[in-house]
Amino acid sequence: MRKSNSNYLILLLFTILIGSCKEKSNSTDSKTETEEELVQRALEIHKRVLTLDTHADTPLRMIEPGFDMAERHDPNETGSKVDYPRMKEGDLDAIFFAAFVAQDIRDDDGNSRAKTLCLQMIDSVIASTERNSNIVGLALNPGDAYALEKEGKRAIYIGIENGYPIGNDLSNVEEYFNKGVRYITLVHSSNNDLADSATDENGAEHGGISEFGSKVVGEMNRLGIMVDVSHGNDSVFYDAIKLSKAPIIASHSNARAVTKHQRNMTDEMLQLMAENGGVVQLTMLADYLREAPPNAARDSAVAALRANMKPISEMTDEERSALRTSFQELNQKFPNPPATVEHVADHIDHIVKVAGIDHVGIGCDFDGGGGIEGVFDASEVMNITIELVRRGYTEEQIEKIWGGNLIRVFKEVQAIADEIQAKASST
Amino acid sequence: MLKSYLFILAFVLYGHSLAHPLRLSLCEIEYSSKRQLLTINLKLFLTDVNEAIVFDPYSKELAFCQPNESAEANQMLMEYVNRFFFVKANKKKVDLKIKSKRLSGEGENTALWVYFEYEQPAPLSSMEIKNAVFTDLFFDQNNIVYVHLDGASKSMMLNKKTPSHQLKF
Repeated sequence: MRKSNSNYLILLLFTILIGSCKEKSNSTDSKTETEEELVQRALEIHKRVLTLDTHADTPLRMIEPGFDMAERHDPNETGSKVDYPRMKEGDLDAIFFAAFVAQDIRDDDGNSRAKTLCLQMIDSVIASTERNSNIVGLALNPGDAYALEKEGKRAIYIGIENGYPIGNDLSNVEEYFNKGVRYITLVHSSNNDLADSATDENGAEHGGISEFGSKVVGEMNRLGIMVDVSHGNDSVFYDAIKLSKAPIIASHSNARAVTKHQRNMTDEMLQLMAENGGVVQLTMLADYLREAPPNAARDSAVAALRANMKPISEMTDEERSALRTSFQELNQKFPNPPATVEHVADHIDHIVKVAGIDHVGIGCDFDGGGGIEGVFDASEVMNITIELVRRGYTEEQIEKIWGGNLIRVFKEVQAIADEIQAKASST
Repeated sequence: MLKSYLFILAFVLYGHSLAHPLRLSLCEIEYSSKRQLLTINLKLFLTDVNEAIVFDPYSKELAFCQPNESAEANQMLMEYVNRFFFVKANKKKVDLKIKSKRLSGEGENTALWVYFEYEQPAPLSSMEIKNAVFTDLFFDQNNIVYVHLDGASKSMMLNKKTPSHQLKF
C-alpha cells in the first residue's frame, strides 16, 4: 500500500512538471487507457477541482505542546493525520478543522469549562493560520476556498463538533460565528441539551432535537452556520430537516445500507437529504465503511502464546519486553482486514444512486479516528479521486463530490441567513 | 466541581471509544492553593490496563475494584504507571500513592479511575507532567491532560513523541 501510494506521488509530481505544457483534456478511451494513464488523468482532475474535506479533529492535535502544523509528521510514528505539508502533498485545498469538545456534566460550571476549551482550540486554529499565512488562510465564506486556491494557499475553515459548548446561552452561537465557526455538529456520542446522540447507551432523551436545540438551529440559520447532523440519532436528522430553513449537512457519515451502523444514514434519510438540498460527507472510519470479519488466525495464535506464558509476577523486565514484542509481531502477522478506498467508493456509489450526485461529499475525520488503507492521512486523499475515475465518474461529478456540493450548500445557508436578517431589519 | 470533571472524562472516553478508534487516556490534575492540595485523576481503559500489565485485555486475574481483587493489583498497576507517568511540582516528583480506585462504564468501555492526592503547601511555580501511558502498546496513543490551577485551566495532549511538558506559573 505504501509503495503504490509512493508511485502515485511520483506521478503527481510528474503531472505538475508537465502540467504547464500539456493540453488539458478529459477525453479518454477506456479500451486503450492503461492503468498509468488512468492514474495520471485522475491526478490531473484532482489538481484541477477544489478538494474540500469537511471534518478533521486536528484542533485536538494543536494542543499538543510543540506541535507545528507547518512541519510534516509521520502518521505511523505519531498518529497525526493532517498538517500543512501533507495537505499540499495530497493536494487537499481546503479543510474544516472541527473543535471537538467532549460532553461534560450539563450545568453552568460544565458549560463554562466547555466554552473555554472550545475557544482555546478555535484560537489555536486561528493562530496557526496567522503563523503560516504564506501557505494557508483562514476561510470564512464559500468563495474563500477558491480565492485562496488561486493564491496557492490552503483554506482553513472552522467547525465545532458537539453543540455542548453553546451551553444554555443562545448568544454563544453568534460568538462562535464571529470567531469564524461555519458549522456546528449538534451532538456527539452522548446526549446533550440540544439533541440526542446516535450512540448514547442510555437511549434518546429529547426524542430528537430539544426545544433549546430548536432555538439553536434557528440561530444558526439566522447567522449562516451550517447545521450538521452527524452523530445525532435518526430523530435528530428528521427534526433538523423540519426545523432548518436552510439545507443541512452530515459532515462525516456514511450509508447504512452498505454498512449497518447507527452512525450511518438510511436510504430514506439519504432521499430526504436530497429533497432538502443538503449533503452527506463520506468519512474514512473503518467501522462505518465495512463490517470487519473475525480474525480467527490471530486469536488462536495469541491464545497459544498466552497458554505458554509463565506468571507475570515471576517475569523479569527483559522477559516482559520480549513477550510484548512477541504479541506485537502477532498483530503484524495477522492484521485485521483493512477498510479501503474501494469501500469508500462503494458508499459513494450507493449515495449517488439513492440521493444523486449533488448530495455527497468527503469528510475524512482525520485526527478523530479516520484513516484507512490508501487514505491513511491527508497526503493520500488523491487515491479517492483515482478510484472514482476508475469507476467512471467524470470530472464534473468529481468536482461536486470533492467540494462543489458542500460549497453549494454553504452558499445557500448564507443566502438564507441574509434573507432572515433582511426580513428582521425591515420589520 | 471535581465531580463535574469526572463526568467530562467519562464522556470523552466513552464517546470516542464508541465512535472513533482513537487511543485515548485522560488525566485531570487540579491544584487548590487554598486547600494546599494537588489531586490527580487518571482515567484508563481497563482493557488497556490489563493488556499493559498482564498481556491480556480481558484478563480477570487482577480483578480491579472487585471483591476478589488481586493482592498484587495495586503494586503491579503502580509499577506500570510509574514507568510512564509522573507529575513534578516545583521540580520535585510527586510521590504517587493510590488514594482510591473505581470502575465506570460497561464492556469495552469500562474505565479504571485511579485517584491520587498530594499535599503541596508551597505555592506552585512550575509543574511538569509526563504521561506516556500505553505508548508502549500503541504508537498512536493520545493522553489528554487537563490542568486546573485555582480555577484557571490549561489543556494539552501528550503522546509518544511529546511525552512530557512543563508549565510555569
